Amino acid sequence: MSTRLTGRAAAPGAALAPAFIVASRSPVEDELPRERSGPVEEETARLRAALGRAEAQLRELAGTVEEFAGPAEAEIFEAHGEFAADPELFRLAEEAIHADASAERAVVGAFGSFRELLAASESEYLAARAADLDDVRDRVVSILLGRTTVGERPDVRSVIAAHELTPSQTASIPPTLIAGIVTETGSPTSHAAILARALGVPAVVSCSGLLEAIGTGTDVAVDGRTGGVVVAPERSERQAIRGRMESEERRRLELAALRDEPGHTADGHRIELAANIGSIQHVPAALEAGGEGSGLVRTEFMFMDRTTAPTVDEQVKVYAEVLRSFPGDRVVFRTLDIGADKPLPFVDREPEENPALGIRGIRLSLVRPDLFRGQLRALLRALREVAGTDAGRLAIMFPLVSTVAELVRAREILGEVAEEEGVDLTGVEVGVMVEVPSAALAVRRVAAHADFLSIGTNDLLQYLFAADRLVGAVADLAEILDPDVLTLIERIIDAGHANGAWVGVCGEAAGDPTVAAALVGLGIDELSMTRVAIPEVKDVLRRLTRQECTDAVREAIERATDAGEARRVIEGRLGTALQA
Amino acid sequence: MPEATVVLRNPTGLHARPAKIFARAAASFAADVELVKGGKEVNAKSVLSVLTLDCHQGDEIRIRTTGDGADEALARLVELVETGIGEPEES
Repeated sequence: MSTRLTGRAAAPGAALAPAFIVASRSPVEDELPRERSGPVEEETARLRAALGRAEAQLRELAGTVEEFAGPAEAEIFEAHGEFAADPELFRLAEEAIHADASAERAVVGAFGSFRELLAASESEYLAARAADLDDVRDRVVSILLGRTTVGERPDVRSVIAAHELTPSQTASIPPTLIAGIVTETGSPTSHAAILARALGVPAVVSCSGLLEAIGTGTDVAVDGRTGGVVVAPERSERQAIRGRMESEERRRLELAALRDEPGHTADGHRIELAANIGSIQHVPAALEAGGEGSGLVRTEFMFMDRTTAPTVDEQVKVYAEVLRSFPGDRVVFRTLDIGADKPLPFVDREPEENPALGIRGIRLSLVRPDLFRGQLRALLRALREVAGTDAGRLAIMFPLVSTVAELVRAREILGEVAEEEGVDLTGVEVGVMVEVPSAALAVRRVAAHADFLSIGTNDLLQYLFAADRLVGAVADLAEILDPDVLTLIERIIDAGHANGAWVGVCGEAAGDPTVAAALVGLGIDELSMTRVAIPEVKDVLRRLTRQECTDAVREAIERATDAGEARRVIEGRLGTALQA
Repeated sequence: MPEATVVLRNPTGLHARPAKIFARAAASFAADVELVKGGKEVNAKSVLSVLTLDCHQGDEIRIRTTGDGADEALARLVELVETGIGEPEES
């Protein structure tokens, strides 16, 4: 008889495969040698080697994870590597070895001391680090015991089932052997869920009773959209999940087939669908998703997490690599966009009461011409480096422009650097992010000095509504589908077109199919979004004509009194295409 | 021995990435570096020890350095705290 369980849906998709149970790997204390077998120096050397090896493994793992799950997820393993290399941890363990403990017991004791301190903390963050410590401890002990630390792996593609999956366990199973993931604990934001989404396999978390109902090899059906898990499914249940798998697969293939297709409406109106790039590691995934170039390369990634500014040469290398990655497509590099809320050790700024309204974006570039010129120089040298190849087309965008004068000054500096470098700027588009209300008000004059306008919806909305998007209580105020915001966006698009500038949107909003359709209806030329949203938006727009989009957004502007109503009006008119 | 009191300005305090950056910076000096908060005193070169102090934005911490290049180390670490310890960009 089958057993039906329900957990929280954490990654979409469906799977039917044998279960593979990943047991908790904590070595049993009794298995560990009690006393050291050799002299102090030998045991200490063994400890040092094991910690070093663990650190190296974790750093390598961080690199791998960064490739397929992104930098945020990789951060966990980097921190783990840091723990393995901790000098106080080593000192504590060394002391225990001097008192005749084995390296295994010594290191377990040392991790235990820190674990106690962290677990006792009222801070949820620190208490969660205690589990991280266990993960690193088990790795080090396994190395000392000469056990494989890669973890067991299934023989066939399986549904990975566990009470809880540590980051190391999740990352050490080859992706091709993971059909789905189910855990008894965890949340949709836990690393197992994030990894499942990155791999495109279903995940269900918080599924209680799982391990009682399941054994390795038992067939299990997982529905990552409903959170349903069926252990040892019967015939009808197998058929149901196969049906779900088929429709998921059909949808996946449909979307994958569009990968190399250009973005356009059903009647052939061209809309460029580009990817936002926040790190060089994002580039392959953006290409895989079918991104047509990038409408926003956040160059900050070159500057963050370091104590000195990147050199021009370092920047040239990275910019040229990004350009080469998008043959024939436009790549919009946004110049350094930081402020007092993201301080950099090498940018000496007074702290500001209100960083969102302080020296940031182009304002910082204009008071720190050394950084700004260095970056422009690097962009132009990268352009020279890829000249004559089929690399992407360089475009440069200035963030947080609030007056025409700022734009004019920034362009002057660009002109000066180009002259110094002997680079011809013909063919290099120079544009502005429209994200400050004053720039939106002055958009006719701004557009006269720009080759393109890119609407930065996140900041524009935050400034228009005086609502911090990170403050939950006011976040709902600032909605792009607000009828008056739509009217403002139309004004920006019209001003751009009247001046021969193309107009795009970069920001999370562009990845919402309903919003994308509304923007197309208003005449947008380009949408740049998070890469995961590209296939869906591409597909939806290809089902709609430009006129249908225009009619829908017009009706929303005329009839709706707020964003929620506007969304209902648009989805009501375009319904079937949006629910593809 | 050189010491200074500083207030943590960055949102995350000495947790996550800032804790790592701070401990790494401390470890880059030959001088010994101690971090003191609320009567507890730890080795600032150890990220685990730094974490156990549970330092938040607005907390007052004391940095104490001894040995080779103690003054230089102190000045650099104070500057690092005052410039926000490289808080990461939101993605």
